[in-house]
Amino acid sequence: MGAPEAMHRFHVGDRVRVKGTNPAGNPRTPAYVRGKSGIVTALHGSIDNPLDHRGVYPPLCSVLFPVREVFGGASPDTLSVDLHEDWLAPAGTAVPSRDAC
Amino acid sequence: MAHSTQAAHGHMQDYEGHVQAVEADLEYWRTKRLEPRVIQLHRRGVVTLYDLLRAAAHLPAPSAPTGEATHDTEGRIRVLEDGLDEYIRGVALASIDSPDHPFVIEDTRKERGDYDDFFRIAKPPHGGTLKERIARLEHDLREYRRLLQVLMRALLDKGVLTTEQLERQRAFLSGRGAWNGARIVAHAWVDPVFKQALLARGREAVRELNIPPGRLGKLGVAENTATLHNVVVCTLCSCYPHDLLGDPPWWYRDDGYKERIVQDPRGTLADRFNLRLPESVEVRVHDNTSDVRWMVLPRRPAGTDGWSEEDLARLVTIDSLVGTAQALTPAALAQNEC
Repeated sequence: MGAPEAMHRFHVGDRVRVKGTNPAGNPRTPAYVRGKSGIVTALHGSIDNPLDHRGVYPPLCSVLFPVREVFGGASPDTLSVDLHEDWLAPAGTAVPSRDAC
Repeated sequence: MAHSTQAAHGHMQDYEGHVQAVEADLEYWRTKRLEPRVIQLHRRGVVTLYDLLRAAAHLPAPSAPTGEATHDTEGRIRVLEDGLDEYIRGVALASIDSPDHPFVIEDTRKERGDYDDFFRIAKPPHGGTLKERIARLEHDLREYRRLLQVLMRALLDKGVLTTEQLERQRAFLSGRGAWNGARIVAHAWVDPVFKQALLARGREAVRELNIPPGRLGKLGVAENTATLHNVVVCTLCSCYPHDLLGDPPWWYRDDGYKERIVQDPRGTLADRFNLRLPESVEVRVHDNTSDVRWMVLPRRPAGTDGWSEEDLARLVTIDSLVGTAQALTPAALAQNEC
């Protein structure tokens, strides 16, 4: 573990979009945030959790979503979901040439 | 004796609520914990269905129903609740990993259909009058406990588990509990340096209190403030820092809670938990996804200046650790304890 920032593709404050389909081997992303965009609020690094799953999943970010963007409506509340980076893509950039990844 | 951190939800006047809780929790432990494990053990040839038949033949015949007719409704519900507690403890014991046959939790989640409804074990419908529902629970619980007893016998007969391992696990399970969470919160209220350490490196920090930190990923601690109220759920399964805090309340595993709290956090807290928060407070739901397991650090109630940590800890209910309640006020504590 140690300094988690070094292993991350994303930074706190980045806007990210959750992929719609499972990356190989890692099912742990709730269906309701798939395809949705949120803001990275914390970086946790790659978490060693051998009692839970085999191998090590990619680095984990906390991502904050407004309830209204996920479910519609006018709720002022938020959802914080911890997502592994293989589930995430950059989102929300207005400059198309910058994002080739 | 350890202080109970069960909130004083519904007194026994609310038979309906108690029966509903037993129905939900019993089916959770059967369909999500015990039976997927039985199927998994069979699939891998560790303990097969035929081993279970042999073990059953060596056990005394199941005893006839005892005393159900002699109790009134409240007495029958209490017997059910005690039986459920025993069932839950038994399932936890039967789920120990043998070093020769390691399972990871993720295998169980796949096996029980957390990611694919195809694998889900059906639950029985729970309709009828209160008396019919109680009778059905008594019947089901007897059968479920019989299977558990047979499985335990087969695990020991086949040498998958030893009695020493069972004793160690029993001791470990009794050392967990929401009381740990209450001590952690009370210490954070009085010691700002500890609080910072807890927020940054939760598991390492709790060693200071001689609490075994557990090993299930990272402990996330979400601090409530004047403008932010946190609440925890696990929509995919029921992840919780249970190696540190013991089992969450039964409704934490309830699909109704999981679905509603993410769609309407504020409304769910108000309607289901009678927790009404002003508009100036943001409600933030943390969905546990197993690598970080979250607990809430509730706000310290007013009127507790100069209280000892021991007394402060009595204000911390299990619901306040999940975020569906605030910590008790001194007045509420006095009322609960009289």
